[in-house]
Amino acid sequence: MHHTEKHNFEPKIIAFVCTWCTYAGADLAGTSRMQYPANVRVLKFPCTGRIDPVFILKAFQQGADGVLVSGCHPGDCHYIAGNFHARRRFAAFRKLLEFVGVDLGRLQFSWVSAAEGGKWVEMVTDLTERVRGMGPMQEFRELALEEQWSGAIDTPELREAYNSI
Amino acid sequence: MSRIGVFICHCGENISRTVDVERVAAQVGTLPGVAFSTDYKYMCSDPGQGLLKKAIQEQRLSHVVVAACSPRMHEKTFRKAVESAGLNPFLCEMANIREHCSWVHEDREEATQKAIEIVGMMVERVKKNRVLPTITVPVTKRSLVIGGGIAGIQAALDIADCGHEVVLVEREPSIGGHMAQLSETFPTLDCSQCIMTPKMVDVANHPKIKLYTYAEIEHVEGYIGNFQVTVRKKARSVDEDKCTGCGVCMTKCPQKKIPNTFDRNLGMRPAIYVPFPQAVPNTPVIDRENCTKFKTGKCGVCQKVCGPGAVDYEQEDQLIVEPVGAIVVATGFDLYSIEEKPKGSPIKGYGEFGHGKIPDVIDGMTFERLASASGPTGGKILRPSDGREPKQIVFIQCVGSRAREKGISYCSKICCMYTAKHTMLYHHKVHDGQAYVFFMDARTPGKSYDEFWRRSIEEEEAVYIRGMVSRLYQKGDKIVVMGSDIAVGVQVEIEADMVVLATAVQPQKGADTLAQKLGISYDKYHFYSEAHAKLRPVECATAGIYLAGACQGPKDIPDTVSQASAAAAKVMTLFAKDKLEREPIVAKVREAGCVGCFYCRKVCPYGAVEEKEIRDRQGNLIKVVAYVNPGVCGGCGTCQATCPSKSVELDGYTDEQIVAMIESL
Amino acid sequence: MTNSIDTSIYTAITEAIQDEARRILSERSVIAVVGYTAARRKGSAQPVVITQADDAGKLIFSAACVNNLAVYLTKAKKEIPKGGKIGIVVKGCDLKALVGLLGESQLKREELYLIGVPCAGVLASTAQPARELTGDTIAPKCRECDNHLPQGCDFVPDQRPVTLELAGKYSAEIARLEAMTPAERWAYWKEQFKKCIKCYACRQVCPFCFCEQCLCDRNKPQMVETTPRPAGNTAWHIVRAMHLAGRCAGCAECERVCPMDIPLNLLNRKMAKELKELYDYEAGFEVREKGPLAMYDEKDDQSFIK
Repeated sequence: MHHTEKHNFEPKIIAFVCTWCTYAGADLAGTSRMQYPANVRVLKFPCTGRIDPVFILKAFQQGADGVLVSGCHPGDCHYIAGNFHARRRFAAFRKLLEFVGVDLGRLQFSWVSAAEGGKWVEMVTDLTERVRGMGPMQEFRELALEEQWSGAIDTPELREAYNSI
Repeated sequence: MSRIGVFICHCGENISRTVDVERVAAQVGTLPGVAFSTDYKYMCSDPGQGLLKKAIQEQRLSHVVVAACSPRMHEKTFRKAVESAGLNPFLCEMANIREHCSWVHEDREEATQKAIEIVGMMVERVKKNRVLPTITVPVTKRSLVIGGGIAGIQAALDIADCGHEVVLVEREPSIGGHMAQLSETFPTLDCSQCIMTPKMVDVANHPKIKLYTYAEIEHVEGYIGNFQVTVRKKARSVDEDKCTGCGVCMTKCPQKKIPNTFDRNLGMRPAIYVPFPQAVPNTPVIDRENCTKFKTGKCGVCQKVCGPGAVDYEQEDQLIVEPVGAIVVATGFDLYSIEEKPKGSPIKGYGEFGHGKIPDVIDGMTFERLASASGPTGGKILRPSDGREPKQIVFIQCVGSRAREKGISYCSKICCMYTAKHTMLYHHKVHDGQAYVFFMDARTPGKSYDEFWRRSIEEEEAVYIRGMVSRLYQKGDKIVVMGSDIAVGVQVEIEADMVVLATAVQPQKGADTLAQKLGISYDKYHFYSEAHAKLRPVECATAGIYLAGACQGPKDIPDTVSQASAAAAKVMTLFAKDKLEREPIVAKVREAGCVGCFYCRKVCPYGAVEEKEIRDRQGNLIKVVAYVNPGVCGGCGTCQATCPSKSVELDGYTDEQIVAMIESL
Repeated sequence: MTNSIDTSIYTAITEAIQDEARRILSERSVIAVVGYTAARRKGSAQPVVITQADDAGKLIFSAACVNNLAVYLTKAKKEIPKGGKIGIVVKGCDLKALVGLLGESQLKREELYLIGVPCAGVLASTAQPARELTGDTIAPKCRECDNHLPQGCDFVPDQRPVTLELAGKYSAEIARLEAMTPAERWAYWKEQFKKCIKCYACRQVCPFCFCEQCLCDRNKPQMVETTPRPAGNTAWHIVRAMHLAGRCAGCAECERVCPMDIPLNLLNRKMAKELKELYDYEAGFEVREKGPLAMYDEKDDQSFIK
């Protein structure tokens, strides 16, 4: 049972889920009256195969502190193979995000079936608690606040050109 | 500007207990584009829907958001209501504030805030919704059945009996398949041909069945309800319309030394032949590879003796296009070859069993032909090497099956039963003989199956040895079987006169090629994949294509017949309507942006993406772009996420809709 | 200098390219040849399209022939004549990009005549094109090149390059970044991406950026901010790297043309490294129907998925 406490920081969690498995799993959590943190906002897709990595980026830019991507277990895809394609796409994308310095603790992938209401609750709760511990996602917020291009002009060619003026 | 109507449902108290619905309605009412916002006790009730319809008309609403339960519950209800009020149903969205909000949170403030955000998100989404027309697809009420074994025959007869035309295509010169080769069938021991041949004749005589034998599928185009199938009718060298089936050509053919494959090469046949006496159609075919006329140009005896003048050496392959609305695939199985290493197969052979080297080591199907009254020995069990009756016979089960180290891990399902049957047939025919069976487990689930197996031991005196055979070798005129009896824990050596191997059931050769033509998926063994292992066991994931029989996995006759009838029922369900209606959640290509990289086609699970040529007014090719066939598209959107330029878009889940939602948060 | 690289074969290669271009143009088996020619400054080179056998003498190959000419087959639609086979001069790295384009249906093999160059390496910068090719002046991509000799071409001169064993700069830099904390990496890339002026030279020079309308230029919806602000720059470079994952052949042209010296190819090479580790995929000389992100295996790694 989730106890409502007041915290200093309430993270914003955006969940991208497929309609057939995880959305249904979240519905089941509802019909079973399970309790979980109210931080999550769910965006429904037909299939994880539809989820473009750009959406995850966009979510972080839009102020998400954590992102959850969840769909059908392998072999259960309503569309045969959408989740298999998604799995490769996200395996690659998370490596890219990690390389540019995004802490992968903020990005969770899971398979939650229509029968796994409990697993949905666990996923949302775990991610919310973890991100709460990590604090706000400052990186993209700071970037968004920097209005101007601030790169230093110090390439050898440019310096030479300036000096010759 | 949008005039969005938002309707917040109390769901009795299910929502309003935790969510301050009035506050949600008030708050959402201030969002740009929202023209009307209200809350109501039960939106899904008649008065609730009435309120919705009335508001659409009075307030001239352009879009609707119903904040209530899960869309999985009532999306259809509200879209229907919206449609009856004159709006396109896809301009209505649901915000889930019950399962995803009021039921999972206790804090009223938190839940209310969350509900406001959820509804706000759906308001932004619905602004980007477009009018989507329902897609209808016409249905050609003819079907194609591929494969003329028991599965194909059963499916064809069921569909044809329902009054729909069937095109039945068989690769061999006659229909009948493996069942026509069997002697008796378990668990009743009735003669296979006695129950099979009447069905074959029914096919031949059925006014609604168009039969192509000695024919193959060349090419398949189209989609559910609208396939165009090109059939290659191979040159038979005999005119089917003229031939009376008298058989004089066969008796006069000078070349009679060709191994008869129907009899598993135990007998010989002429170069002009029917595979077996009860063949349907009873029209011979010239085996051009072995015919003297085709090899040397000399001979021509069959043409000279043919009264009706049916023999035609000039005949060529014919390509025939058949329009059909549904396809039943019933291509059946083949037996695992245990020669040392089957060519081009990742599966390892059984060199240690000497099949192909020791003449009296045969497979189960060869035993069927020996036991068959119409077989090469007239039903006597005789050794291929010297024609003697074997007095000691050893059956080995699971040859290939359940042998991971050999490349196949599945159970072939039928071998336990047919081996039990073989021991019985042997005992009936060789009264003083002794049968031994090496087995791992006896798997006999099925009506009267276990009783049948027990009978082979208890009444027919077969000796079952639990264990594996490591080696077979010839010693004089005996075959030494070296194995282990794990029940007793000893090594066993039996000097046998004949050994019968229950080799694994595999899909037909070329099953993968056919699957590629049809656009259906298959597993690593090339068995065809059903859409859902439990709930859609006879449908392919590709709409309009159904599976029957062993092409989907090892099956016995009753299971095959059941699945064939089930596939036929699916076809008839499809044919019950003149037009197919489908949800318009399909991908569409923006041709201006498409650069023809075809990533969409590479990832499409449905094979829905085709090439489309864009030409200028002079007819010059400008570019080739992707085209998504709306009849085939399953609506997953994997194409859109993969498309580098986002030139393919899934209606109902466009980037605009999704980005609008993300940006609202 | 001890680490100088022998480029003497380039003279003979130049002659061989000229002879072959002359032959195929005079036989009309191609309608044009895309290659390199000498530019104004001494020792420099620039791309050229020739359509006459008489112009074959203009073609050269030298350490200054840095460009990946494959890009011209997808983008310079006006300059490349239509209606016949095109000859093109390719180094190993260029050929890998071209092979990728064949796999993505942008080119047809039968419409190309490939003149492969046995390549010992090219210069990192063409600021001083006449500089000697050494272990110091060589392009970073050449330091880690395994494809000095193109394969599957229609013609390759007989000369064989002699190469030096050089330590890989990209691999070292990737390893250095991987060892950092996420915050340090973020700080590093933030500084890099800040410099970006959104000139899109990286996009313009990339053979794989052949989309007629780039996702990042769209405004309905605006997926990526287009102004050269740090937020939009970061998004652009992330999206760019993701779109090239499993496709980039590592020609590093993006990095060479970047006026702000952003180490762009590091991102691409990192993705290539990951895809190699995950799916054993590498860009190569063989045309493949599907790249690693257009296919799947049921047994793909999913250790990152709960």
